[in-house]
Amino acid sequence: MESFERIHLDLSKQPGKCRIAETGLGWKPSGGGDTFTLDLNNIGGAQWSRAAKGYELKILSRTSGVIQLDGFDQEDFDRIAKAFKLFYGINVESKEHALRGWNWGKGEFGKAELAFNVQNRPAFEIPYTEISNTNLAGKNEVAVEFSLPAGGAETGTNGHLGGARSRGHKAGAAKDQLVEMRFYIPGTVAKKEKHEDGEEK
Amino acid sequence: DANGVTQKKFKKFESYKRDNQFPSRVADLVIVVDVKASTIVLPIMGRPVPFHINTIKNASKSDEGEFSYLRINFLSPGQGVGRKDDQPFEDANAHFVRSLTFRSTDADRMQDIAQQITDLRKNAVRREQEKKELED
Repeated sequence: MESFERIHLDLSKQPGKCRIAETGLGWKPSGGGDTFTLDLNNIGGAQWSRAAKGYELKILSRTSGVIQLDGFDQEDFDRIAKAFKLFYGINVESKEHALRGWNWGKGEFGKAELAFNVQNRPAFEIPYTEISNTNLAGKNEVAVEFSLPAGGAETGTNGHLGGARSRGHKAGAAKDQLVEMRFYIPGTVAKKEKHEDGEEK
Repeated sequence: DANGVTQKKFKKFESYKRDNQFPSRVADLVIVVDVKASTIVLPIMGRPVPFHINTIKNASKSDEGEFSYLRINFLSPGQGVGRKDDQPFEDANAHFVRSLTFRSTDADRMQDIAQQITDLRKNAVRREQEKKELED
C-alpha cells in the first residue's frame, strides 16, 4: 500500500490522506469525515499532470466520472505509477498541458470529459458531470453553463468528505467560480441555422 | 510586406514554457494576473490555465445579488475587431474560447482584476503600436 498526505479530492478545501491499496483507492479528510473509496474494478484509467496545488492524479472511473486528486509532489509519480501497475494493471499516463496561453485549439469529446487541446496538448478539461446546460448562443457560438451550488457560503466548505464533492460542482469549489464558457466554432453551423438567423432579423 | 501586399500576420506569443513558471498563488484556485508574463491565469476545473493578454479583447465586472461576475471576452474570428494587418490568432478555422465568466462574493477583488486586465491590455496594445511606428 502507498499512502500520501495533504491531498485534495475533487478540489476539496480540506486536504486529506490518499491511500492506494490492492483493493482500490481511498481518501480520508484530515479534519475528520467520511472516507471516499473507489473499488479497483471501477478504475478505468489514470493520468498524471500539473494542477493547482501540485501534481494531480486523475482517475477515469467506470461509473463515477472523473476523480481528481491534487497536491502530490512531482517525485510521487514513480510510487503511484508502480502501485497502479502492480495493483490494477493500469499505466498512469503522464500528460503535459498547453502553456502557450492561446485561446484557439480543438475541442475534443472524450469518454468522460471535453478537452480543449492547443497544439495537441490539453489546455483544460471539462468533466461532463460539471456541465448543467449548453445552448447555441449565436451563429457559430456555443455556451456551456456549469453546475454551481446556489449560495456561495455552502461552496465546498461543510460537505461530507471534507468539502469535496465526488460528483459535480467542481467549479463551485474554487474561490473564483467558473459560471459559463463560450466557444466559437467556425464553419460547423449548418445552412439551416443560418437561415433561421435570417428569419429572426 | 516587402512586396507591398498587406497580409494578415500572426506573431507567435507564449505565456509560459514550463509549468513551474506559474505564480504560486494559482494554488488557491483564484484568477491571477501575471503582469510579468503578460498573462491571466484562470482556474478551470482545478487547473491553472494561462491566457496571454494578446488573446483578450476585454474584461468587465457586473453585480447580481451576492455575487460579482467577471466576464472575460477573447478575440476570435467574426467579431470585426483587430487591426487590418494583424491577426491575433494563428488559425481562423480552429475552435476558439470566446468568453469565460467567473463569479465571486468578493466584489472589490473582481473589480480589481477587471481593472488589472484592462490596464495590461492597454499596455500591450500601446507597446504594439510603438513597435509598429518604429518599424514604419
